[in-house]
Amino acid sequence: MNFDYSEEQKMLVQSLERTLAKSYDFETYRGQLAEKASHDPALWASLAELGIMAMPLPEAAGGFDGDHTDIALISTELGRRLVPEPYVSNVVVAAYILNAVGGDSAADDLAAIGVGEKRFAAAFYEPGERHNPLAMNTKAEKSGDGWTLNGHKAVVLGADTAGAFIVSADAGGATLFLVPADADGVTVRTYQLLDGRGAADIIFDNVTLDASALLGEAGSAEDIILAAVDRGAAALVADSLGAIEEVIEMTKDYLRTRTQFGRPIGSFQVLAHRMVDLLIDYEQAKSMSMEASVEATNDDSAARKKAISAAKAKVGAVSRKFGKDSIQMHGGIGMTDEYALGAYVKRLLVNETLFGDTDYHLERFGAL
Amino acid sequence: MELSLTEAQASFRDDVVTFLSESLPEDIKETQKSGGHLTKDQHQRWHKILGDKGWSTPLWPKEHGGTGWSPVEYAIWDEECYRMGAPRVLPFSVSMLGPVLINFGNDEQRERFLPGIRSGEDWWAQGFSEPGAGSDLASLKTMAVRDGDHYIVNGQKTWTTLGQHGDWIFCLVRTDASAAKPQTGISFILIDMRSPGVEVRPIITLDGSHEVNEVWFTDVKVPAENLVGQENMGWTYAKFLLQNERIGIAGIGQSKEQLVSLKRLAAAEKKNGKPLVEDGSFRSKLSEVEIELRALDLTNKRMLVETERGMDPGPVSSMLKIRGSEVAQRLYELKMEASGLYALPFQPEAGDPGWNDELAGTLAQARSAPHYLNTRKISIFGGSNEIQRGIISKMMLGF
Repeated sequence: MNFDYSEEQKMLVQSLERTLAKSYDFETYRGQLAEKASHDPALWASLAELGIMAMPLPEAAGGFDGDHTDIALISTELGRRLVPEPYVSNVVVAAYILNAVGGDSAADDLAAIGVGEKRFAAAFYEPGERHNPLAMNTKAEKSGDGWTLNGHKAVVLGADTAGAFIVSADAGGATLFLVPADADGVTVRTYQLLDGRGAADIIFDNVTLDASALLGEAGSAEDIILAAVDRGAAALVADSLGAIEEVIEMTKDYLRTRTQFGRPIGSFQVLAHRMVDLLIDYEQAKSMSMEASVEATNDDSAARKKAISAAKAKVGAVSRKFGKDSIQMHGGIGMTDEYALGAYVKRLLVNETLFGDTDYHLERFGAL
Repeated sequence: MELSLTEAQASFRDDVVTFLSESLPEDIKETQKSGGHLTKDQHQRWHKILGDKGWSTPLWPKEHGGTGWSPVEYAIWDEECYRMGAPRVLPFSVSMLGPVLINFGNDEQRERFLPGIRSGEDWWAQGFSEPGAGSDLASLKTMAVRDGDHYIVNGQKTWTTLGQHGDWIFCLVRTDASAAKPQTGISFILIDMRSPGVEVRPIITLDGSHEVNEVWFTDVKVPAENLVGQENMGWTYAKFLLQNERIGIAGIGQSKEQLVSLKRLAAAEKKNGKPLVEDGSFRSKLSEVEIELRALDLTNKRMLVETERGMDPGPVSSMLKIRGSEVAQRLYELKMEASGLYALPFQPEAGDPGWNDELAGTLAQARSAPHYLNTRKISIFGGSNEIQRGIISKMMLGF
């Protein structure tokens, strides 16, 4: 039993830290938000150069065959720095699906993800279906050799900057299609999420697809969708951990330095004990994130689901508590837009809600 | 990162399971599994079996009868004991006094007392808390005045767990009333509870059980050779003793066992014609505590692995104590809720040896509320959770 990261992993994180320290601080983040940009091609290229996109990909696609503990470490750094780039939607979710369905064109697309040249977004969730990744109101009907697609996908992470979407639809069971963003009949309503990451609602109105748009076999995508979502969830849990670590530093620092009534406010027991409870919750969240990163790739899907749901539910609840309590302990300054705390609180809210919120995972955990 | 047991750890667990299934007496297992009160004889019989096997004092140095188990192995042992219904040896002699004697006692004391601790023949009680000295332990007032080759002890200890069975009690006593700081006038002394002037009075707790006691000392003559270490250095030994409980501090084994019995209870109870365990609102409470325990188990293992590498776990052991007690309390609370109306009939001795009344509800239901009430103590003893939070905030915030 050990909880260690390898030397290679530590080196990877260090180089990512260095790159972000040079090129992405809170002011950069604020500037990007002001311009309503969720993606910076220069930053994306430098991240690709570091190898963090290729890291989890199979060797055949030019990757390094990494596992989910690599993804967790990378995600934690991206969360710590508030980087809005569509890392999870591409390198974690889309890459997993493309690799799982196989085929020549998917292999090319995978390789393109690895070097940061193409971007995808996986569209599962639908309006009115809350957190159900197997929502099937989007329909694909056979027409000639190809398909006609109709439906509406909700809050698709990374869809604002993707060139193509991986769309789940009912074609006699759960089925995945690769749909170019500029195909006729596709409407993409882009927006930024609370924390600046990009997403979109996508409407498919009689979209005509070639036979080659089908990913894998019709009607058999359920397991792939659930596994992809679980991997995404594990990555977001790790992302939250980085954000939480930053919130801890900010809050501890504030408790030590802010004085009222002639003394540092951290010397008031009511605040000190509140902080201690958060620190305990952090250790618990960290343990669950570690387990999720190990279990995300487990072939035993029941064990995987149990661990991912436990982690997503626990880290979700802890994140909410961190958000509320850290603002309260900061007082007025925590309410301002120019102070970084709020950005982390929003990052945590987004992570908490995507790929199944706390209630969804608590329920799934209980049912397993 | 590898979260499962190593081959060596798995085979150690197999050895433990084999030993427990061969050696644990049926009646003891029955009492323990059903959450009844163990008798003095049951405690001592099991302690003796472990002593004969050489497993009653696993964490002691090998030359004094330790097993040489690593922290992870000890945790495996702890967990398997709970799972299989083996009582844990009471901590007072083995985990508290033993290490103090080994580190600070003299050879005579070790020769005289360690064998009785290993075999469980001597029943030791702990004499620390007093009516006016709880969280502020250093304000204790029980006096020991040197008189030739004896000390004369006067005062009162309280919350003495199972002191009604005690042969001996190790006490913190004041030997220098004029010391500059309260901590510097305290000594660590061993008192034969069969001496004249020692009186044990029961305290019945709100769950109806007799577990704790007051111990009164009136002009009790204690031979000076029963002083451990140096006079007025007792506070140092006490701090050492209290740090010695880290490994089992989170109560993982016990809570895992309670989770199993909670699920069993919730499967047997019905709500709207369906098992309670399938009810949405109950299940979400159950899932929450199960996830918390799952996280705690891993957090605990992270600490054990670090301890094994010789790293100081720092504030993590206090964190484990806090969250471990909260999880355990929550489990007992849910067992009481799951029991429904039959949590209410007050039958504190139900099912104990010698109890012959007619049971209302099932035994698990009858014991649920007393257990809930009894386990309020676990966030109070061993340094209350507020004291633990103070320790953590001092280390991590500097306040």
